[in-house]
Amino acid sequence: MTLQELYQNIGGDYGQVMRILRMEKLVDKHIRKFSQNDVVERLLAAGRADDPNELFEASHAMKGICGNLGLKDLCELSSRIAEEYRPGNPRRLSDEEISQMLALIDAKYQKAKEEILRYEEG
Amino acid sequence: MIETKQIERPKLILIADDIELNRDALEVVLDGQYNLLFAENGKEALEIMRMHREDLSMLILDLNMPVMNGYEVMERLREDELLQHIPVIVLTADKSAELQALQMGAADFITKPFDIPEIIQTRVSRILELSEGKKLISAAEHDRITGLYTRNFFFEYADRLFQYHTEMQMDAVVMNIEQFHSVNAVNGREFGDGVLKRIGEEIRAFLAGTKGIASRIEADRFDIYCLHGQDYRAVLDRFQKAISRFSPNVSIHLRMGVMPWQEGVEPVLMFDRAQTACNMVRGDFQNPLMIYNNEMQAQELLNRRLLNDLSVAIAERQLQVYYQPKYDIQCCPPRLSSAEALIRWKHPQLGMISPGEFIPLFEGNGLISKVDNFVWEEAARQVRVWKERYGFVLPVSVNLSRADVFDPTLVDRVVRLIGENNLDFKDMKLEVTESAYTDKANEVLNTVCSLREMGFEIEMDDFGSGYSSLNMLSDMPIDVLKMDMKFVRNIETSDTDMRLVKLILDIAKYLKVKVVAEGVETEGQLHLLKDVGCDLIQGFYFSRPVPPEEFEKLIEQEIAIERS
Repeated sequence: MTLQELYQNIGGDYGQVMRILRMEKLVDKHIRKFSQNDVVERLLAAGRADDPNELFEASHAMKGICGNLGLKDLCELSSRIAEEYRPGNPRRLSDEEISQMLALIDAKYQKAKEEILRYEEG
Repeated sequence: MIETKQIERPKLILIADDIELNRDALEVVLDGQYNLLFAENGKEALEIMRMHREDLSMLILDLNMPVMNGYEVMERLREDELLQHIPVIVLTADKSAELQALQMGAADFITKPFDIPEIIQTRVSRILELSEGKKLISAAEHDRITGLYTRNFFFEYADRLFQYHTEMQMDAVVMNIEQFHSVNAVNGREFGDGVLKRIGEEIRAFLAGTKGIASRIEADRFDIYCLHGQDYRAVLDRFQKAISRFSPNVSIHLRMGVMPWQEGVEPVLMFDRAQTACNMVRGDFQNPLMIYNNEMQAQELLNRRLLNDLSVAIAERQLQVYYQPKYDIQCCPPRLSSAEALIRWKHPQLGMISPGEFIPLFEGNGLISKVDNFVWEEAARQVRVWKERYGFVLPVSVNLSRADVFDPTLVDRVVRLIGENNLDFKDMKLEVTESAYTDKANEVLNTVCSLREMGFEIEMDDFGSGYSSLNMLSDMPIDVLKMDMKFVRNIETSDTDMRLVKLILDIAKYLKVKVVAEGVETEGQLHLLKDVGCDLIQGFYFSRPVPPEEFEKLIEQEIAIERS
């Protein structure tokens, strides 16, 4: 699997990540590291614990990383959660909707990890 | 010329972000244009900044980091005098953090994701440019030694205060150090700079208690523009005490001139006047403070008018040359031996102006050469007229000022004058004041020597009023000593003065030169001087200085005596 195919499979924007990191070598390095990064796990754990501060912190951090990695689906989802829990913002979504979004994030993350593993294996 | 862009120093940027992805992403955008350093949290960033505080041009700072976050870093920077000048660009994924970051002192921000590298590059380079500009302005704005404003910025700010803050009534204060160049020469530049720095600190401490601004204008001149009505004696006293504590072994004396607030007088003029006041107490260690007053203002206005009017005065012959006779008293009766040419100014509006008023003024700025030249031309012409009319020469002495001595055209001018009027060099005598020899004595001696070798007789004027040393006197090219009039004034009543006169006559005898006693007013003085062997006298006893027509009567009397 090529890097470009990997991005296609996980709903990423290869053009964007290349604009940011410029070199395939760097994209390769950071997409491999993404599966070891605990930021998504932190967010999911915060959801389970229903901890609004941590929900904000983790989603905010995840948004930055996914943005720079061109993972636009995950970026978009984490961004919506960050806005939802940003201190001072009124809540707009129901707990159920949040749960659904977190589940979606989990699913996409798992899929991404699998694909990255496959990519790593060649 | 080398363009300034070519002499820029390489820029060093620190990127502080805990996420390697972000550090890498910024590295690919900025690498090649800048030298980069990296930190993974705020604490590490501060450590690196302290290490590189001299050469670090910028910090790019992520806000959310472990150990120490970006907000805390910014707070620490704000309190750190050594680091607060380094501009910070904040990294944020988050619009709402921008305002807070800017309020905390960030110069700009970059939003994640970094998908438009040109934005990052442009922002970084623009902030660097701004900060370089700020650094240059700050360097030009402040004096390196004292940290006070430099001249141009000081006057700019003083003007602004004057124009836009008319509710503030400001005094102008000028402060100098006595003989600062000698302090520097004897104790070294480093010591001198230390003195200036200490004074700068005192001025700042003074201004902390009132409203005002200050500058080291140049060398040892400090200008302070501060709220009207300070007790300047106390202020100067405080500065003087501080500097004496700082320099217990080398005595440093300050002097101060103050121009108190006056409605509508702009700063430049205020400081001119404060400087005038400050100059008036030069060398006066007992009373080193002078407040500018109306009398000084009147004097200044008069001076300015005289300076303006001089050229017209020469052209319109308001300047006139008067002659005062010198009599040889060893003859009986005393015989007219020569005359001194003296300048008079009959001003159309101000009337007769005393030479005591305008000579020192013109001596101060070199215009005295114009006056002297006028006197020489007039006197030479007059000697010629009398020579033709009476068939003999009555030598006339003219003054030679310091400024004349340093004029390279001097010798040519006097030679031409003698030639044009068909005179001999011995027909004119040159009077050089004793004080003309005090500084750059060798140059003065050389010029006077060459004039004497040509045939001019040299008279030393005001002898005893200056500081000639006896050994210098024997080297001086002189033919006549003119004893200062203050010695003669009291010889009838004061034994001491009489003894001094005898002493001067002894010195003259030793030097084999004649003596002219000036300021002789009474017959008693004449007899005393004659008895102790004085050769010539000049003074009101025989005649005050008179216009040429009147002087001719003295010549004619002399001719009558000769015939009888």
